[in-house]
Amino acid sequence: MVRYQNLVEALNAAPGDRPFISAWVNEDEQETVTFAEFRRRARVQAGALRSHSVNGGDRVIIIMPQGIPAMTVFAGAMILGAAPAFIAYPNDKVEPSKYRSGLAGVTANLKARLVVIDTEFPEEMLGHVSLSEETRLLHAGDGRVPGREEELPDAKDQADHVAFIQHSAGTTGLQKGVALTHSAVMRQVEHLVQALEINDATDRVYSWLPLYHDMGLIACFMLPMACHIPVVMQSPIDWVMHPETMLQVISEHKCTLAWLPNFAFQFVPRRTRPNRRTQYDLSSVRALINCSEPVRTSSMQEFQNAFAATGLKAGALQSSYAMAENVFAVTQSDIGRSSGPTRIWADGRQFRNSHRVVQVVEGSAGSVSFTSSGRLLPNHEIRIVSDSSAPLGEGQAGEVLIKSDCLFDGYYNRPDLTAKAIVGGWYHTGDLGFCLDGELYVVGRKKDLIIVGGENLYPQDIEEIAAAHRAVHDGRVIATGVYNPDLGTEEIIIVAEVESEDLLANTVEIEREIRSQVTAGLGVTVATVYLKPPKWIVKSTAGKPARSATLEKLQKEHPELNV
Amino acid sequence: MTEEAKQMIEHILRRIRKPTLVIDENTPLVSSGLVDSMALGDVVLKLEDLTNTRIPPGAAKPKDMDTVAKMFATAERVGKPRK
Repeated sequence: MVRYQNLVEALNAAPGDRPFISAWVNEDEQETVTFAEFRRRARVQAGALRSHSVNGGDRVIIIMPQGIPAMTVFAGAMILGAAPAFIAYPNDKVEPSKYRSGLAGVTANLKARLVVIDTEFPEEMLGHVSLSEETRLLHAGDGRVPGREEELPDAKDQADHVAFIQHSAGTTGLQKGVALTHSAVMRQVEHLVQALEINDATDRVYSWLPLYHDMGLIACFMLPMACHIPVVMQSPIDWVMHPETMLQVISEHKCTLAWLPNFAFQFVPRRTRPNRRTQYDLSSVRALINCSEPVRTSSMQEFQNAFAATGLKAGALQSSYAMAENVFAVTQSDIGRSSGPTRIWADGRQFRNSHRVVQVVEGSAGSVSFTSSGRLLPNHEIRIVSDSSAPLGEGQAGEVLIKSDCLFDGYYNRPDLTAKAIVGGWYHTGDLGFCLDGELYVVGRKKDLIIVGGENLYPQDIEEIAAAHRAVHDGRVIATGVYNPDLGTEEIIIVAEVESEDLLANTVEIEREIRSQVTAGLGVTVATVYLKPPKWIVKSTAGKPARSATLEKLQKEHPELNV
Repeated sequence: MTEEAKQMIEHILRRIRKPTLVIDENTPLVSSGLVDSMALGDVVLKLEDLTNTRIPPGAAKPKDMDTVAKMFATAERVGKPRK
């Protein structure tokens, strides 16, 4: 692959007649723009942005529905040397109050020159867009910002300029803007090209991922743009209403690469009628990469089993560890390895007591399994450290620290957060993991660890047992530790949503059963089980249980708790 | 209320895990937060079964599925015969 100094130069060098973005709605409705047409539209957007006083170094916030118009505004801002940032468009997955709070925080922090919204943007949200005297609001009309085509400026000197700002996903993390330079992004692209063996003549990306998330923005927009490979995309809401269409798009367009969060590996097979599965052809897929939440082998196995008859290659399901702070990927599993990511089994008690992996035979009593997130990308270093920052050895779990040539310089306008996150050039991820045979295994979040009487417990282990109870809705469980001053240690509490409200009549029995199952599985005692009605647990923007927000809610209902 | 609408209501109540809730054809479901986007995929599949149609992707938005009455009206408007 040719090396470019920045993303604009890479876009400018793309072969004009090659398809770039196909916006897929259904078999009869799709729009494809070539690289030449995308460039033309991006220049038009650049002209419009310039006419609204946007210049190099300015920030441009884009709050538009996912699609080609939003993407050309983004590229148009980069053409001018400005730093664009996608912000999530309001949707029914996020509580309005939470969205308003996040929106106000982000727009105030970025001090943008321009906020670009579409005409459908809800009026009631506008009051929460922080508009200073220097910030202007631009309605993008039919989704396109009207303007004349702007000549491409010489972009060669932009390498160390901020290319764009992406935001950490989550419930309260929206305020953390990650500013990334062109050179950091281009280095990440080069590493991905190498790790994924990308071929610009044959590869094609499929995506329904939101562009305000690093997985959607980097893997499914910046990477294809810089490598000159086509991407076929759906809107996230169209996909979630018709999950099966992912199979249809991949089959029709012979896509080779896609990134998915873990839940999608279950969500798609469970919503695809068995009698329809064989009509799809997934033989083109080189890698469906499980990324952005803990990798569960059972989810990947479910997908593999459901679609075995579609030509899906053994080993096509892969894994990666990624974060916005490193542009995107830190690790990648071995592409093409027919057995997929490495999976190991370890003695559960040893692991909880000493954070150490002692491997056992698959399925041994009391064992826990871990799935690898793969090997480090080139020019990446990793350290696993204890609570006292002492380096830990092979197979010992601790906090994951990373250093790379793609690492961000800091959170935008937040030196306080930056100083806590980057120490001595190492980014403290807050994730817990261990290295074994050159591969990284991520096991949870540091701040979530529960310590009971000196024994370290991973909330995920407790949650998995509680979630298996027939009365508990799948995945709607949070376990945490609460300090008990009388005992001098933490106690375990569990919050779980029941399948239906009528089950709350059997609270005593269900609590007792969950307690005894956790004790049987992990050898620890649960202090309290809080059973809650459906939809009580707070969800993140990604639809996952939001730990801190749920615990805040719990404390409000139970002020006696010191969560 | 048609038999299909009754079946849809039963399906939704099972899906949202509130079997004792009382809803009718005009109860707001999406806008009230009772049905979230993750559940809409199941609701669309059920609607296709009950109406023996196929709802083309992109033809229906969450607001078109806000009530059971709107769901069936949407299927009538955009549904295509199953192959």
